[in-house]
Amino acid sequence: MLDRREFVKLAAVLSSAFSVGVLPEPVAAALKKIDPRSIPKLLYLQGQSCTGCSISLLQAESSSALTMITDFSQLAFHADLSATSGKQAIELIDKFVSGQAGEYVLALEGAIPEAMPEACVIGHKTLAAYLEEAAATMSAAVAIGTCACDGGIPAAEGNQTGAIGLQEFYRKHNIAKTVVNIRGCSVHPDWVWQTIVHLVKIGLPELTEGGSPSRFYGRTVHETCPRYHDFQQEMFAEKLGDKGCLFKLGCLGPQTHADCSSRWWNGGQTWCIDANAPCIGCASPLFARKKNMPFYRTNRQG
Amino acid sequence: MKIDLGPVTRLEGHLNVKTTISDNVVEDAQCVGEMFRGFEVILRGRDPLDAQQVTQRICGVCPYAHAIASSYAQEKAYNLAVPANGRILHNLIQGANHLYDYLLHFYQLSALDFVDVTAVLQYKGADHDLVKVREWVKAELASGKTYPAAPFLPRLSGKYVDDAEVNIGALKHYLEAMELQKKANRASAVFGGKFPHATAIFPGGCSQTPELDLIVTYQALIEEVRDFIHQKYIPDLVTVAKVFPEYWHIGQSKGGFMSFGLLPLGPQPDSKQLFAPGILSGANVSPVDFGAITEDVKYARYSSPTGLTVRAGELVPDPNKAAAYSWVKAPRYNGQMVEVGAAARVLVDYHQGNNPQVKKLVDHFATLAGITPDKLNSVLGRHLSRAICAAVIADFVLEECERIEPGKPAGAEIRIPATGEGYGATEASRGALLHYIRLQDHKVEKYECVVPTTWNCSPRDDKGNPGALESALIGTRVENPDEQIESVRIVHSFDPCLACAVH
Repeated sequence: MLDRREFVKLAAVLSSAFSVGVLPEPVAAALKKIDPRSIPKLLYLQGQSCTGCSISLLQAESSSALTMITDFSQLAFHADLSATSGKQAIELIDKFVSGQAGEYVLALEGAIPEAMPEACVIGHKTLAAYLEEAAATMSAAVAIGTCACDGGIPAAEGNQTGAIGLQEFYRKHNIAKTVVNIRGCSVHPDWVWQTIVHLVKIGLPELTEGGSPSRFYGRTVHETCPRYHDFQQEMFAEKLGDKGCLFKLGCLGPQTHADCSSRWWNGGQTWCIDANAPCIGCASPLFARKKNMPFYRTNRQG
Repeated sequence: MKIDLGPVTRLEGHLNVKTTISDNVVEDAQCVGEMFRGFEVILRGRDPLDAQQVTQRICGVCPYAHAIASSYAQEKAYNLAVPANGRILHNLIQGANHLYDYLLHFYQLSALDFVDVTAVLQYKGADHDLVKVREWVKAELASGKTYPAAPFLPRLSGKYVDDAEVNIGALKHYLEAMELQKKANRASAVFGGKFPHATAIFPGGCSQTPELDLIVTYQALIEEVRDFIHQKYIPDLVTVAKVFPEYWHIGQSKGGFMSFGLLPLGPQPDSKQLFAPGILSGANVSPVDFGAITEDVKYARYSSPTGLTVRAGELVPDPNKAAAYSWVKAPRYNGQMVEVGAAARVLVDYHQGNNPQVKKLVDHFATLAGITPDKLNSVLGRHLSRAICAAVIADFVLEECERIEPGKPAGAEIRIPATGEGYGATEASRGALLHYIRLQDHKVEKYECVVPTTWNCSPRDDKGNPGALESALIGTRVENPDEQIESVRIVHSFDPCLACAVH
């Protein structure tokens, strides 16, 4: 965690990177209806992605994805939902990216194939070309999911495309742009939508060192795990399917910063550890990175 | 005239379709997959138990299909005995995933091709969501923005449903379908741990134990989904078919059909399945032989050898390869192009008389629409096939719940041998899905995936023969060559998933 001084310093860097001044005024009354004319549009692009984060965004419960799209954000373009297509879609994206369609927030899902730009093309341009151009016109950038934040599985050891996340892409291309990182493979819908609401209503939320909203990523999965008691009492699951703390099976809850253990998934119905499945660290910057770091630690070689 | 249709939206991933138009007819079409990650290479040298997690990330729309195919492949490679509860939970998870996916496809991905959402401006009722959308569209249109009411506008020009009441009803169901999808996904997550990307699925079953309360929760959620399928989804589809009957005759692919079979009726590897596997050529069905599958790459961006079998698969990217136009390989069965997907699944089963419910539904809807069953090979036929699958699967998973032994473990004890290999085949919602794993020193030596959209959106094979979607587009009459809503409807009827196709 950042101390207060570091946070103030970081916030200053971020607010200049973000041009917070052009974001809507802070809204004092939390329930005050937002004027739709002042809501920045979301330009949602996909890189080396599986669309799992987009699908997860549609699982939002309170508020629903519909409310998020009509009341709190304006989805200018999303390849999975937009009625527009083809040339019309390219024109729309180009208008935003070139700064002719007003204020927008760039949302990126998926990694960027830094060593092989042809491995991700939208229309006639590489994703990388769009991202470079957008850097000059967007109000803010939100990286959605572990791939967009850190490269994710496309960046795993042995990959052939040199996949990286958005923050690193801008650093490598000498573009001063800070990115809000919403990690998770996939993301939890609340993490994204509530960050966007915060950006729209109040401005930049408090961020962790890794650039993720502290509200969701401030503590580890382990710290608020319902099985923390089992851990303390050394009641460990010995094999898959057992109850108890899953640490000995390889659970990455202690290293993974995310609030899954208190938020739960799919409308609060369940989450990995409640289904006796060890945390595989999908919200960690190093998710699935190394071949010699398997997800599970079980004595199972036959 | 050459027109690119990409980026084609309302499908998964990065698809372009290059068309050549002459006298308002699609003379040529090339499907272009525009994104590559290289999963098969990433998997090499990893712990084999990582595979059902890593391969789910091939596709966040149908991750469970990959988890299941990977689990089946690993079960073979480990020679694992699967407990009855384990197989049933696999089925419940995969079945619920199919149901959500059919609703997503019909409403979110396809409905805007047919339905006029601007009709909501004429809405006079008091429904909360419709009033909200009406007021939002009004405010948007009055706002003077460059692109008001996105993502619903702008849209392609063409004929849409013109009955306001039908349009408003369909919009209401578009919104309701989102709620029902969440319920189907919540049901699968009860046993899978979460959606997307389930963590509780393993070879041999699940780490979750099916306690009675979980079973009852699953049943309650799926019953709601089943009601929606019968009361709204199927009637909406019938309405669209009545307004656009020409689409029973548009978008035929020009090869055979292949299905790997879906939802085993028992834990044994050779169990009969809810939907039977097979290769359909004309009216003849033959058994599937995975050794007959090869992947051509003359027109795909790889420098690895062409025509390799799945066991021998290679993956060396060559982004600037001359004459190559897609990242999708061209899989062929005995050298022939086949279509996979819901229509293949239904037709292959129908022609074997495997599942009486499939036969009854096909015959019922064929009579209703005045078509013969072979017309399932069309835009509307693919939509209808999904609805038939949805009805059959919803009933099946509810029956399957009654066969669970509550409270008994649903997992197998996994021991990974030093060497071994196995194919895992199932039907993703989008069609025939094959995984192959080979072990060396307890690690993954080779992992190969041949995925539904690899078949359907394949480029030309080495002999120059088009893939299924390419063949379905060629010869299509289009009103407005620049936009080609007719071609877009054909593309959508296949429900392409490009992240799957290339992986």
